[in-house]
Amino acid sequence: MERRDFFKKAIVTAGAVATGTSTLEANETVHPIDNRKVSNVAFPEKRPLITYSDRPPLLETPREVFTSALTPNDLFFVRWHMPMIPNYINPNTFSISINGLVEKDIKVSLKELKTEFKQVELIAVLQCGGNSRTAFNPTASGIQWGIGAMGCARWKGVRLKDVLEYAGLKKEAAWIGFNGEDKAVYNETANFVRELKLEHLNDNIILAYEMNGEDLPYLNGYPLRLILPGIYSDSWIKMISNITVTKEKQKLHFMDHAYRVPDNECECETPENLAQKTKPIEEMNVNSIIGYPVTGTKVRNASDLVVRGVAFDGGHGIRKVQISIDGGEKWEDALLDDGIEGKYAYRAFTYAFKPKESGALTIMCKATNKKGDVQPFAKDIKWNHGGYKYNGIDEVTVEVL
Amino acid sequence: MTTTFKKSILLFLFLGTATLFAEINKGVTFPYVNFPMKEGKGMYSTKGKCNMCHSFGYVINQGKQSRKFWHNKVMKMIVVFKAPIKTQKDIDTVVNYLFENYGNGELE
Repeated sequence: MERRDFFKKAIVTAGAVATGTSTLEANETVHPIDNRKVSNVAFPEKRPLITYSDRPPLLETPREVFTSALTPNDLFFVRWHMPMIPNYINPNTFSISINGLVEKDIKVSLKELKTEFKQVELIAVLQCGGNSRTAFNPTASGIQWGIGAMGCARWKGVRLKDVLEYAGLKKEAAWIGFNGEDKAVYNETANFVRELKLEHLNDNIILAYEMNGEDLPYLNGYPLRLILPGIYSDSWIKMISNITVTKEKQKLHFMDHAYRVPDNECECETPENLAQKTKPIEEMNVNSIIGYPVTGTKVRNASDLVVRGVAFDGGHGIRKVQISIDGGEKWEDALLDDGIEGKYAYRAFTYAFKPKESGALTIMCKATNKKGDVQPFAKDIKWNHGGYKYNGIDEVTVEVL
Repeated sequence: MTTTFKKSILLFLFLGTATLFAEINKGVTFPYVNFPMKEGKGMYSTKGKCNMCHSFGYVINQGKQSRKFWHNKVMKMIVVFKAPIKTQKDIDTVVNYLFENYGNGELE
């Protein structure tokens, strides 16, 4: 399918409907649900995307987009927790508060961030911990994402470290809590607050106001969001307006219960025997996705087919991406791009070949990172109750004419 | 005359553009998307209790689930997110509706 067709095929669907995988054999992980149609409704500053909810907005990027190292802003996925999102923020008056265990409670305006601090840029993948959740069986709790709850962008902003230093951290400071401008309907409902251990603070963690050379789209956190390269997106707080430094970790639903996996070697459990001890999802697994062709693409026999996709991990860097066209028996290296975007970015890959016979042809891709982690087959991935961290070998099935 | 006409066109274009930018600076509008609910006993009650805070899409995209799952979700909404579902009767109505229409047939 041509990219142009994919937008044409944006047929009328009032949001994608999850079919779930619960009728399949228990505990066999499958491939995530693929090829869901984009909605006929476009959200602000976005092209029509796969739409799971409007309140809060939950939008998935279609597979066809994952052919290049950067994801365009208007195709970038969207995930909010709270339904009340400001639809107007004045950039001239916006500021972020830094308080708690700091020498002085301060407010730093957007203008000051852009002029008083060292400006930094980096390219990093933003991926929901529940990306591809539809692979898990029985159906894991949470949004039933396909493969597109991810994207990669060039972020520009200032180092969180510099802003904290400006406020002056007190000696007892140990945790940094982040909160954005999104709110629940009821005042009693706790905000979506996330915390970072001070010892995990590093130069790559930034407060970004720009995405791919433009202001952040509202739905991606205008005018300021937190960037944590290599880490799943649960702490990449959008519309960030408050940072509170504390000595003790606060009691927070979204830290203590959500975004956690079993604290064991396989990070796995069964519905009958849920793990008692859990840990945060944190560093992203090695992963790769084919952006072209997609399942259902028709190609001519003996034509020159170029497979395109992206690979990434939590920051060790991608060593190789391999392609199989025989069901995973034989693997051949794909060509990787030059990697100048850095170790937190997508590596775009290509693999050229000529299909040799007519009929259905399955193309698989498998990435290996520099640490030696290799993507497993989907069926070898063990279940966890939140459906987090799926990174099964991706596949698409084309029709050779 | 022609020059004036051209000038006014230019002026119009200029003002038009300026207005456009101003519009963007005024913020954005989030669209409404309808996520139809299956007709069934307790639909209106569930609509009133759940859709006040979030779309029904947020509910159905949890996938087809067991009775226990839906019960736990409703309790989480009450305990963690302070949903105004006050009585056992209301809890049962919502759980029954979700399980009957978006269940996987399993109790647990």
